[in-house]
Amino acid sequence: MSRPVRRDGPATLHEVIAVALAMDLRDGELGFTGLVTGDGTARFAAAIPLVASELARRTHAPNLTVMMAGWMHNPDLRAMTRLPTSEFDEYLRDLPCEAHSKGYPGHTWSIKRGDIGYGFASGAQVDVQGNLNSVCIGDPQRPKVRLVGPILQPEHMALFGREYIMMPVHERRRFVEKVDYVSGVGYPGGLEGRRRLGLDRGGPELVMTPKCIFDFDKVVGRMKVRSIHAGISRQDVIDSTGFDLGDLGAVPETSAPDPEYLQILRHEVDPHGILLG
Amino acid sequence: MATRAERKSKVKTLAEAAAMVNDGDRLAIGGFVVYQRPMAFLGELVRQGRKDLTVVGVTNSLDVDLLAGAGALRRVETSYVGLEKHGLAPNFRRAVEAGELQVVDYPEILSMERFRASQENWPFWPCYYLGGNDVALRNPDIKALDCPASGRPMFAVPPAAADVTVIHAIMGDRYGNVLVPARRLTPQSLDITLARSCDRVIVTVEKIVDNSVLQKYPHMVEIPAYRTAAIVEAPFGAHPTAMASMYEEDEAQMHRYAEAAADPERFEGYLDDYVRNCASHEAYLEKIGIARLMAIRCIEVAL
Repeated sequence: MSRPVRRDGPATLHEVIAVALAMDLRDGELGFTGLVTGDGTARFAAAIPLVASELARRTHAPNLTVMMAGWMHNPDLRAMTRLPTSEFDEYLRDLPCEAHSKGYPGHTWSIKRGDIGYGFASGAQVDVQGNLNSVCIGDPQRPKVRLVGPILQPEHMALFGREYIMMPVHERRRFVEKVDYVSGVGYPGGLEGRRRLGLDRGGPELVMTPKCIFDFDKVVGRMKVRSIHAGISRQDVIDSTGFDLGDLGAVPETSAPDPEYLQILRHEVDPHGILLG
Repeated sequence: MATRAERKSKVKTLAEAAAMVNDGDRLAIGGFVVYQRPMAFLGELVRQGRKDLTVVGVTNSLDVDLLAGAGALRRVETSYVGLEKHGLAPNFRRAVEAGELQVVDYPEILSMERFRASQENWPFWPCYYLGGNDVALRNPDIKALDCPASGRPMFAVPPAAADVTVIHAIMGDRYGNVLVPARRLTPQSLDITLARSCDRVIVTVEKIVDNSVLQKYPHMVEIPAYRTAAIVEAPFGAHPTAMASMYEEDEAQMHRYAEAAADPERFEGYLDDYVRNCASHEAYLEKIGIARLMAIRCIEVAL
């Protein structure tokens, strides 16, 4: 099942994003990575977060704990022979790890207690305020497209310390002025607006796409471009985004990964190319 | 003169047990996403032509999609309906987009807590994190209030209030005692919560065993007999979904289902082949075939 792995050469897009994420993770944190299905989405929204967390663990954050699929603490990623495609099968259950959260309500208290420092979410739409939608496209009363539902997004975006939004496709219909259904709350009215809604913590931190990295003006409550990936033009980002991004003249290129981090990622975190492909 | 009455057996056939579900009932279905769904039972509900059901769930998949495709549903209250790695749930999606099926969206953890509210007879489950979220703004059953202690925004989330619960388990006895192995994950532990949250509990099991067998493992008998209304032997009763420690998901059959469900006409053919024209669960298993069933079977040493 293992395939030839890049051991040298320039970083791939997935590696660039994984290292950028790893640099954002802090020692001692608890991270939560979910199961995401659909091949491209799964790599982007589940595998990259796992790689980033493990990379942080092996470098500057040895006391970080990662909860894979929301219930396996610090799994031995090198024991994985394939990308997990199910959340509760024997393959995951028997994968070596440090601790299991065994079932309801055993796996929910850490979420509600506020133990989780960071998590990852994806959706069909994200808007300029960082609201996320995985419920439907069109009028929720009579949707044009019905999607899977809110799942754990309301909890992710309210109870976790911060959320990284992973968008594997960057196009106008996904980056919209206003989502058709708010299943994860961003910054309506900024941090103050969140507080008025009773949301004292959390909210989106970064939005990762194949074209750029967004962050937020949390006072105003507005998404803005932090950096643009190498080889992507400013105009491409503007054309692919359904809301006004302002002047991108001063936006830098996304940093190339630190070579040592990249080596550790390639040789230790994902030596068989199971996760990043 | 003292009478000596017999202890009552709750063993029923699948058909008898399915007849305990009424049109219009609020139905809770055991399992989680694509794990351990009582599919044999749901197939029988379809054969009996049950309709106007409300499924109250946590995360749903093939269970809701099958019932939606068979026209058995009026409403679904849950956090997710999809086929996990097999994609979106096509029948569910079509029915919702056609305005034939109402969905009420709940966050995943609150979907679980709703069953706990029912288990503990709470009139609502308190929640403090739904501000600005359409799951609350668009759901008249979730009431916004000020927390009486802190004055902060709060939400009263309605209990699951299922009329009938059906779960699939490994083994039980004829009185309705049901064992859930100690090595359990979310799907199995949620089944226990479901069984404690409703007064009409139907359990299908891989095997009905003698009461003396369960007396060896009373620490794992999580559903005591008095809670169970009916117990049905249905080997491979979760097929094609996975049954922990017993059999894996039948990926080929799930794929066949997803392919068929993508098109309404093809799905009618699937319903005929695998549900309506199978006179019983045994006939369904024969259609799947012994080779397939043996291929997905697990043999596991209990630890």
